[in-house]
Amino acid sequence: MLEADADAGLVRLAQSGDARAFEALVVKYQRRIARHVARFVKRTGDVEDVVQEAFIRAYRGLGSFRGESAFYSWLYRIATNSALAFLKRGPGPVVLQEDMGEERADGAFEPGVSDGEDPERLLLAKQISGAMDKALARLQPELAQALLLYEVEGKTYKEIAQMVGVPIGTVRTRIFRAREFIAQRLEPVVGHQRPRRW
Amino acid sequence: MKLKASLLLDGELEPQEVAPTLAQVAADAGLRDRFTLYGLAGDALRGNGTPDDGFSRRIFERMRREGVAIEPGFDPLAEQ
Repeated sequence: MLEADADAGLVRLAQSGDARAFEALVVKYQRRIARHVARFVKRTGDVEDVVQEAFIRAYRGLGSFRGESAFYSWLYRIATNSALAFLKRGPGPVVLQEDMGEERADGAFEPGVSDGEDPERLLLAKQISGAMDKALARLQPELAQALLLYEVEGKTYKEIAQMVGVPIGTVRTRIFRAREFIAQRLEPVVGHQRPRRW
Repeated sequence: MKLKASLLLDGELEPQEVAPTLAQVAADAGLRDRFTLYGLAGDALRGNGTPDDGFSRRIFERMRREGVAIEPGFDPLAEQ
């Protein structure tokens, strides 16, 4: 398994039969995979079906994952194949909808509105975005910097420590404190939406 | 323990800490919520802050309903 694959620990546990480890990976990657699938598949309900299929295929095939690539890259390829298979089977091709959003040059995603998108869900996504903006505006700059470098710039903890000039333990704490500050502000917004198992 | 949930999400725990931390997170509703919210915060920062609304739960329920298991020799990348 790749030394750099941050998911190696959870993947090993899942491969050894710990379903909770795979569930943690689903929770972690569900939105990224859904966003990817939504580039191919138009209807929200179909996106969910394809994402379910992709995760199920990944679980069935966990034994074949040898770690030559990162787990997320492997999952991404499975989701791509599942989306393409869905389009082949479907009543008509619905490919790369322009209104489904696009990846910007800086890596951020501009969400669009798909057919059948639940207005309540869209409103909640807007509320989450608003709560995030407010939280970031009040977050201590050094905490925001650490979290943004990790989540948006894709830097590792080690790279952040070197860039900022602090011990890696400080990076761990800053990212955690930033997340906790934001989580406390997201909680009232998404409280009633919490999934039961995770 | 919340710090460990954050490190679990990022794969930054020591190898020997992963299993016990996962067990604690999975067994504690508050920690599971935190794990989910930390993930949501990251996705929202990347412009993808859609709520879960039971999406992951439905995947787990389907897997249990269909008795999905790891299948030796199954290639998930093979043509469907």
